[in-house]
Amino acid sequence: MAQLTIAIPKGRLEAETLDLFAAAGLCLPAHRDPRQLACLDESGETRFIFVKPSDVPVYVEHGIADCGVVGRDVLFESEADLLQPLSLEIGACRIAVAAPAELPENGHSMLRVATKYPRIASRYFGERGQPVEIIQLSGSVELAPVLGLADCIVDLVETGRTLRENGLKVTEVIAASAAQLVVNRASYQLKATVIAKLISALKGVVRLRAVARASRP
Amino acid sequence: MSEPLSKIPSGFRYYSAREAQARRFVETTSMNVFAGWSYEEIVTPTVDYYSLFEQGMGETEAQRSFRLVDVDGRLLAFRPDVTTSIARAAETLFAKRARPLRLCYSATVFRQHTQSKADWRRELTQIGCELLGKNTTAGDMEILAIATELLQRLQLNRSFVITLSDAEIFSGIVENLGLDAKARDELRRLVDIRALSELELFLNSYTTAEESAAFANLIQLSGRSEIFARARQVITNTRSRAALDRLESLWRIIESLGYSSNFEIDLGDVSRLDYYTGLTFKIYVGGLGVRLGSGGRYDHLTGKFGRDEPAVGFVVELDALAELLAKEEQSNLSNQTENVLVSSGVDDACTVFQKALKLRAANRQVRIDGEGT
Repeated sequence: MAQLTIAIPKGRLEAETLDLFAAAGLCLPAHRDPRQLACLDESGETRFIFVKPSDVPVYVEHGIADCGVVGRDVLFESEADLLQPLSLEIGACRIAVAAPAELPENGHSMLRVATKYPRIASRYFGERGQPVEIIQLSGSVELAPVLGLADCIVDLVETGRTLRENGLKVTEVIAASAAQLVVNRASYQLKATVIAKLISALKGVVRLRAVARASRP
Repeated sequence: MSEPLSKIPSGFRYYSAREAQARRFVETTSMNVFAGWSYEEIVTPTVDYYSLFEQGMGETEAQRSFRLVDVDGRLLAFRPDVTTSIARAAETLFAKRARPLRLCYSATVFRQHTQSKADWRRELTQIGCELLGKNTTAGDMEILAIATELLQRLQLNRSFVITLSDAEIFSGIVENLGLDAKARDELRRLVDIRALSELELFLNSYTTAEESAAFANLIQLSGRSEIFARARQVITNTRSRAALDRLESLWRIIESLGYSSNFEIDLGDVSRLDYYTGLTFKIYVGGLGVRLGSGGRYDHLTGKFGRDEPAVGFVVELDALAELLAKEEQSNLSNQTENVLVSSGVDDACTVFQKALKLRAANRQVRIDGEGT
């Protein structure tokens, strides 16, 4: 039986994450069926499960997966109670406010904010004392200001291309986001040796990559 | 439109059959262990003034409770914990009793808002004990020995780990670095989620890079006796050092009792620091994604209701324990005698009950079956 279960987010971070794990010595079998939702690594000691990014914190918090990889955006939004021992320095992007023009400096009027991240958005504007109406959407958030559903959006910005295509630009950056290794609190104690080994292997890879990046001309 | 009567509010549920049996088994076993260590059972009020819990647990925790308004307008709460109420009783009802006081309980607690999503229950049963009036390593050890015996007696077919730390280690570091309340909370948060690189960055503005790295390294892992030597290289302030010494002498007793395979030192445990003043510990059991229990020394809690008095205790979550046990098919959850048959359909009611009473007098289990009865 596998000693460790790791939740991998499907989609945006998946390939980079698997690449990182492979560099740390946890390789998936070469001929993996991409529709398979769970599979063992080559050694048979680690099981990978493939889930929706927003479900990674759920699996790890319940201890179904011992560890997981998740973007900080999703982690902030989930408010899950997890250990976050290592930033993996992949999938770097920003959680930002974007709007058609500069947002008017008017703290009194209600701002309509469309977002996939209602908690992050309401916390951010709440701290500034800006009254907002949060409109929760599950995709194509950039359309909301264009069509007049919202004044601005809070969303993940990678290159900014989608924003530009919709005539939006970043007005404020809320936080930098990157993929994070998260660990279940009980697993961290009960499987301490295996998890420590995993963290230190991943940390080694992350450091090497940082050195490689820095030495690049 | 009214809700259908079939619906149960979220966070509440029924227990029956094997699950109910497992719960009863955990409760009986635990209360027997407590009695074996001379702990006296105490039943606290289910509803009490909200201000009591706010004082005892802190605002954040107390606000999780179900609250209601009394006829005189004062705010009441369904108890969100038991320890607070015990601490108050110790300084009021039991103020004149000889010390140490040894009290234990098995009680339901209620939380309107749960702490994490993995913990869905809003009605929980807590089993715990408190030792008041004893400020010694022996007092700490007594509580740990009881917790260990309890877990052993439940015959969990799984490994358990109790991680130990001391709240004063962290407090000494905060004092030494001269952190204000906000910085202290941030440091606590980073240690708590083991965000090591962020922790190093944070500490760099208060101390040397070398010390920051060493500290981050120290809280990364739990370990056993080797932790003390490593910790002393990194932590030099008097307050933290005294706590380390205390923890080490406790560890020596644990080792000499042959317990050390179930114990670990985890200097990264910094939860609920406002409450604990010395030893802190957490209990984890294999197969359970959440913590099974926790405990520690809280020498200032009783002071809120009278005078400061040393106190140490622990609590385990009956619900999680019973769930684990109910799942283990081979575990024997009952102390009952063999299942004995009782009656047949041909007897008249009189005969049936005569037979049944005889069996009951002999303490056998009966079940009255049959059409006629």
